[in-house]
Amino acid sequence: MGSLKIRNLSLSYNGGAPVIEKFNLDVSDGECMGLLGPSGVGKTTILKALAGLIQPDQGCILIDDVDVTALPPEKRDAVMVFQKPLLFPFMNVAQNIGFGLRMRKINGAHKQSEINNILRLTRLDGFGRHKVHELSGGQQQRVSLARALILRPAILLLDEPLSNLDANLRQEMRELIQEIQTKTNITTIFVTHDQSEALMMSQRVSLILDGRLRQVGRPQDLFYRPVDPDVARFFGGCNFFTGEIKNGQFETPLGLFPVGQDLKKNQPYTATIRPEDIVISPANDKHLRGAILRTNFEGAATRLWVQCNGVQLIVLAAGAQYKAHQNVSLHIPPDKIRLFPKNV
Amino acid sequence: MKPWFKPMIVWLIPLAICLPFIPLVLWSLSDRWFYPALGPQTWGLRAWLYVFGSAGAQIIASLLQSILVATITAFTSVIIGTPAGRALGLYDFKGKDFISLLFMLPVIVPPLCVAMGLHLWFIRLSLAETYVGVILVHLTFCLPYSIFVMWGVFSNYNPDYEHQARSLGASSGQIVLKIILPFTMPGLIVAGLFSFLLSWSQYLSTLIIGGGRVTTLPIMLFALMASGDRPVAGAVSIIFVLPALIVLLFSARYLGGRSVVGVR
Repeated sequence: MGSLKIRNLSLSYNGGAPVIEKFNLDVSDGECMGLLGPSGVGKTTILKALAGLIQPDQGCILIDDVDVTALPPEKRDAVMVFQKPLLFPFMNVAQNIGFGLRMRKINGAHKQSEINNILRLTRLDGFGRHKVHELSGGQQQRVSLARALILRPAILLLDEPLSNLDANLRQEMRELIQEIQTKTNITTIFVTHDQSEALMMSQRVSLILDGRLRQVGRPQDLFYRPVDPDVARFFGGCNFFTGEIKNGQFETPLGLFPVGQDLKKNQPYTATIRPEDIVISPANDKHLRGAILRTNFEGAATRLWVQCNGVQLIVLAAGAQYKAHQNVSLHIPPDKIRLFPKNV
Repeated sequence: MKPWFKPMIVWLIPLAICLPFIPLVLWSLSDRWFYPALGPQTWGLRAWLYVFGSAGAQIIASLLQSILVATITAFTSVIIGTPAGRALGLYDFKGKDFISLLFMLPVIVPPLCVAMGLHLWFIRLSLAETYVGVILVHLTFCLPYSIFVMWGVFSNYNPDYEHQARSLGASSGQIVLKIILPFTMPGLIVAGLFSFLLSWSQYLSTLIIGGGRVTTLPIMLFALMASGDRPVAGAVSIIFVLPALIVLLFSARYLGGRSVVGVR
């Protein structure tokens, strides 16, 4: 099978400014790792470097603890599936899927049974003799996946496997990839710019911002325990307010909060709380008072902009009972607050 | 539009193309045909008997020379033109516009100038009056067409197909054979065909560089026409057209506009 280690990887295009600098990542055998980041951050570039299609400026790539940095793509046990299906139009579905085996000079009955197995696994039974242009977008994507899976690579690299599909197919394809990943236990690295996709599909997520790896961890860790405000912002964090630690408490315009984290005294900190974690209720005396500036109905929830002691907070409230200019009370649960040193 | 209008146009065009060949056929089958008669006064196979009889060996020899020169020129032209077209179609580099202008030059400059200029050089390099020399001078006219056809093919070509194939385990040689070749085949055939036909019909450059030693079919044809024997010239003209026509028919299905455009 395959474990992957990336050490100090730096990548650039044609000797220009580096796109990725000093990138380190460990992926263990059988893991499904999501590479998440905004568009144009260099995620696909990393994937191409892992596949051997781009030579890194610096650093090395180890598959099963063997340095493969200098190996050409065809000699690496890592297969990349591109964002577009890129099916060869002059071959039928079965020939496309069998392409990799043919390149390895595997022919005959063995090849045919492998193709049949993989057709079944990707729910493409009976499509073997079809021409590729007769297939729908989702089917083409599945053929493209099957073409890589048949080689049983140590590492499977998927570049935005769902981005070309519409909402329904996306769901179906996501389930299929997860199912195949569990069945085959192939170490999978997939690139996406969609945070929910990354959170749903991966066992661990690597978030890349500005060419650097910011945080690696389980989806819940990135979502609930971001390491810095940028990570919080990427996952939809929008409430930031500052304060200081005094007498073991965090002092802010929104009140005093007991501190759970181990923090230095008399230093400014930035705090964040997720909009859905703030508890909102009609105005009462027990809690913090605020006024709703405007509202935005989102279906399952309503997004409220609340002005509170000079700080603007965004609150997600279930239902649609709150109106603009209404006075409300807010409760900020201290355990849901996350603190970062201010200079970050 | 009247229902008969479109089929009429469709039939008129090939008719217009075929029309000039009718006098050739008539000439080749005539014995005597003088003004003001509309058709030949006496019919006969004298010209064809001459072409296949007493002049047969000579004509077959020059036919073979023409096929040899045009085939080698076409292959060389495609082999050189494809990497050039690929570079122009896929990459951006300094001086690309200037280089593409240079490629056009042999088409813009009158062939006579090109051939005369090269003749001096070819004498020094002892390439004058050789097949290699003739093929080289034909290449100067064919290459621009090959390069431009392949440029068009590669500017509509997605190199990610090659990357995908590599990642699936294809070596460089396998990528050329299994990916690039099938993707560019229609373009390669069009480029080869253009080059073949251009080389096939070269007269002036063959005459200057070949110096009468390399007697391709056009050289032969001009010699016969100059002698004033029209029936024989007609018969040789038909022989001259036929191989080109066969090549054209063989590759006609690749000539549609769609086939030259690559797949994205």
